[in-house]
Amino acid sequence: MTDTLSYPDVVQLAVPLFIAAILAELLWIAWPGRGGRYETRDAVTSLIMGAGNVAEGLILGFVAWAFLMTLWALTPLDLGTSWWVVALCFVLDDLRYYWVHRFGHRIRWVWASHVNHHSSQHYNLTTALRQTWTGTFTFMIVMRAPLVLLGFHPAMVLFCGGLNLIYQFWIHTEAIRRLPAWVEAVMNTPSHHRVHHGRNPRYLDANYAGVFIIWDRMFGTFVPELDREKPDYGLVQNLGTFNPLRVAFHEWLAIWRDVTQPGLSLRDRIMYAVAPPGWSHDGSRDTSEGIKAKHLARHPQDAGTPGFR
Amino acid sequence: MPLEILLAMVVLGIAGIAILTIWLGFGRRRALSEDTSQADWLRHFPEDVVRSVWISSDAHAALVLTDRGPGLLWAMGADTTARRLSDAQVSETASGLDIRFADFTAPRVGLRLDADARLVWKRMMEEP
Repeated sequence: MTDTLSYPDVVQLAVPLFIAAILAELLWIAWPGRGGRYETRDAVTSLIMGAGNVAEGLILGFVAWAFLMTLWALTPLDLGTSWWVVALCFVLDDLRYYWVHRFGHRIRWVWASHVNHHSSQHYNLTTALRQTWTGTFTFMIVMRAPLVLLGFHPAMVLFCGGLNLIYQFWIHTEAIRRLPAWVEAVMNTPSHHRVHHGRNPRYLDANYAGVFIIWDRMFGTFVPELDREKPDYGLVQNLGTFNPLRVAFHEWLAIWRDVTQPGLSLRDRIMYAVAPPGWSHDGSRDTSEGIKAKHLARHPQDAGTPGFR
Repeated sequence: MPLEILLAMVVLGIAGIAILTIWLGFGRRRALSEDTSQADWLRHFPEDVVRSVWISSDAHAALVLTDRGPGLLWAMGADTTARRLSDAQVSETASGLDIRFADFTAPRVGLRLDADARLVWKRMMEEP
């Protein structure tokens, strides 16, 4: 069994690439008539969130590593390190990403970590770096367990996860409209991911893919970007602060306040933590289903169109 | 990558990008108008009926009176955000009004209003 295996920390190595690409996108957008938007405080907040995410990895990364290495010691399987194993690991890890990401939008405990990535009303390359500081506490590392138990080395699994994250960086842009049809059919693209960041009722809970959009097509969550409806980026209730601490922790605090309010049953308290965002014990808030239903009540002509099927 | 190099790259990268965005003119806050504020409010509260809109002296905030009570729309960088005023605490300051929401994601907004407008806004904000 391969005990010592190391791959480069590709996310750290990609930091110069991230900075260079942001500078290039900024200059591209500054050219009049090319579209796309930047705003100083929004961009700085996103970049600080990205730096905090790297710091969290340096501080708490050992937790994930220790968990995965424990599983590695238990599994009798070892698929080795050949190129096809890495390629297979990359594809299966992308499937793992799809489900983690879907849980991130459908389970409030995981959403509390992921929400900050959607908290910008902009959609540019800095938005890609607006990453969580609290991912460790979602316990979504368990979703990597099957890969390790199947015989993929933890270092390879994390390496593929890093490549997945780097792939997703460049799709956070309005500078690219559409790619060739075969690319749009198979890969996650700027167009598909713009939909994912839209707060329009039509675009809620759609396009969870990391690298391959085929997962959304397979599992029924794919919604195409419509030329007649531009994505409106941000949260259903947008933040009124650029303070990175509030961006990072606001949903955790909201869960705490909901779970500890007086007069609730144990079931209600648990539901406030694990039900879809917007769930409430008295029906006073809207989940994405409720938002879509209210939209259809106002715009019945949208029934049966993408995002409302 | 050595930690010192990573740290220097991150700090210089953030500072450089911030300076460049300001230099390119992307640091300006959104200016609100009566024409655009109604649509901006409905973007946040699509089920409301907007009755009237009042713009602050610096055009960075708007008091929006709706069928569900008064609300505040304000510039968040190049965009806007909005909250209902039902739970807000309103106090006067030298330059206008200070609004404190019971909301961790939107704790406080300062409004620039002249003395006359201050009183009118405060009265309208307190209407049910």
